[in-house]
Amino acid sequence: MTAMIAPLAWVCPVFGLGPLGHPPGVSHYLVVGAILFVCGVVCMATKRNALGVLMGIELVLNGANVNFVAFASPWLQADGARSIGLDGQAIAVFVIVLAAAEAAVALAITLNFYNNHATVDVDRADDLKG
Amino acid sequence: MDLGSILTSTLTDTMTVSLPLFRTELALAATIVLLLVCRMLPLARRLDSAFIALGGIAFATWFAWNDLRGLPGAPWGTPADGVVTPLRQELFGGLLLFDPLTAYVRLLLAGFLALYVPFTLASGIPDREDGADFYAMVLGGALGMCLMASANHLLTVFLAVEMASVPSYALSAVLKGRKAASEAGLKYAVYGAGAAGIMLYGISLVAGVLGTCHLPTMAVELPAIVGEGGGRTLVLALGGLMIAVGLSFKLSAVPFHFWCPDVFEGAAAEVGAFLSVASKAAAVALLVRLVSGIGEPVAEAAGGPVAAAGLAATRQFMVFVIAVLAAVTCTLGNLAAYGQTNMKRLLAYSTIAHAGYLMIGAAAVAALLGTRPEAAQRAVAALAFYLGTYLFMNLGAFAIVALLRNRLRSEEIASYAGLIRSSPGIVIAMAVVLVSLIGLPPLAGFVAKFLVFSSVVEAVRLSTAQPLMLVLLVVGGLNTVISLFYYLKVLKVMTFDPPGDDRPSEPLSLVSLSGALVTGLVVPVAALGIFWSGLYACARLAGRIVS
Repeated sequence: MTAMIAPLAWVCPVFGLGPLGHPPGVSHYLVVGAILFVCGVVCMATKRNALGVLMGIELVLNGANVNFVAFASPWLQADGARSIGLDGQAIAVFVIVLAAAEAAVALAITLNFYNNHATVDVDRADDLKG
Repeated sequence: MDLGSILTSTLTDTMTVSLPLFRTELALAATIVLLLVCRMLPLARRLDSAFIALGGIAFATWFAWNDLRGLPGAPWGTPADGVVTPLRQELFGGLLLFDPLTAYVRLLLAGFLALYVPFTLASGIPDREDGADFYAMVLGGALGMCLMASANHLLTVFLAVEMASVPSYALSAVLKGRKAASEAGLKYAVYGAGAAGIMLYGISLVAGVLGTCHLPTMAVELPAIVGEGGGRTLVLALGGLMIAVGLSFKLSAVPFHFWCPDVFEGAAAEVGAFLSVASKAAAVALLVRLVSGIGEPVAEAAGGPVAAAGLAATRQFMVFVIAVLAAVTCTLGNLAAYGQTNMKRLLAYSTIAHAGYLMIGAAAVAALLGTRPEAAQRAVAALAFYLGTYLFMNLGAFAIVALLRNRLRSEEIASYAGLIRSSPGIVIAMAVVLVSLIGLPPLAGFVAKFLVFSSVVEAVRLSTAQPLMLVLLVVGGLNTVISLFYYLKVLKVMTFDPPGDDRPSEPLSLVSLSGALVTGLVVPVAALGIFWSGLYACARLAGRIVS
């Protein structure tokens, strides 16, 4: 695990987001958010099951949420950087609600697709093309 | 300051400043609640939900019209209720912004709904059983689109995009039993949710680096950070590109256009009309708002030479990204439209191409922002005018497709063969719409395209991004020529090809209820090509967001 994070420890200070040392700063949280984001994107790109794709979307949204909450805390920021304050936490709460609503609609659509095609494989959604 | 005084000042601000300028959206929201409540009450159930929706839309249109008329400098004097609206007013603590562009796009959307509901009534989708759900989702989507036009904070940008998208996913799958519709819904939902997720991550990066989500504050912070250069600028560019992914998806710009042809073909023509007109207008308004908000020259004075260089670099970046996307979108949309045999799919590619033309105009706005504010105002006005004419053109095209589907049971272009013999009126209406979509005089599409291209010419003459703008001008001109052929191919099939034997020869006359609707949509297309000064005066008003 340390070997995986080591390149990130080099990248984060380059981006001016503060070092990955002690005490934990905003960069540590950004690394977690970035890992969630990349996992989500990979999941969206590789999963052939519609439910798997939807799970990937949830991961992407929550990766962004981790960023927002980290940026919201004034104690995590590097010297001189501004935190976005309560806005960050408010956005995170809104995104949680919105992700639930979106998942509900997407699941209903997936169920409807299953009723018509007897599968939830996104590769089978290939009638429309050109 | 104690809690009591904070509460009092928030309450006063909300009640006296924000809510009166928010009444269009409030009317839409109240109509949605009414639609959903009425289907639960036994007596109110007998009422057709389309009429409830129309009532609410009438209120929304009236409010939006008065807000536009109340603006200082509006061409019709003070409105009936005598309320003068401010030129620029932040609502709800800076989450939303009321300005001429907001007022214009809101009126456009409300006017679109007022034409759209009669169209769905005439074409028969949705049926009475689904009506309440369908109109609730249409109004909900339109509410999100109104918010997109007035977003002033990254939270409202994201929420508005999602509020416009999520009902659209459900709408595209509203024909539950059809395989193609369920496939369209699934594709739209998966692509859309993915693009929204990436956009949200980009928003989080931009907000974190700038330390704020409020667009005008971002515009103040941005130049100094970009001027310094280094890693933070890279993060900002990455976040900006991720936000561009979300916006490109809403605009159906290449390379995020894959959903558009599939959704338009699979979903009902009525849904296609909603997505192609209303969704596009809101996305263009949001793009203009972000571009003009970030590139506003006000911030230049504050930060000295470093900030000035940073602002110039930001503008250059925006112009480059929008211009490249615009050129590719326009060309690919027009080229891909060639081989299409399905009319809705052809209109989808036409929508993509028109998104490209609109983005060419947006690139001109971005290029002119720093140098010539008056020219930038004219460029925004050209876009606003384009959206106004596009409403009639595309709604007319989709209305004809939907009505012909009800007669012919087909949306293939080949099934339109020889239509001129049985229903000449509808073919003439289609000809007017398609020639206007090409952009030939004397129709509305010509004036709109002329205004957009003339703002690009101004950008070539006056801005610093001269070579790029010249390329855009050439690309736009060539694309107009390319688009000539596939639109005229449809007309050729309708007029010269012999009709098939198996076709029911039931004519669709313009002298009928649904025919009157088509006439009502097509006559403005022709009239706006000649009497365009009224709409252009409104559009000029909308252009006054740039100072």
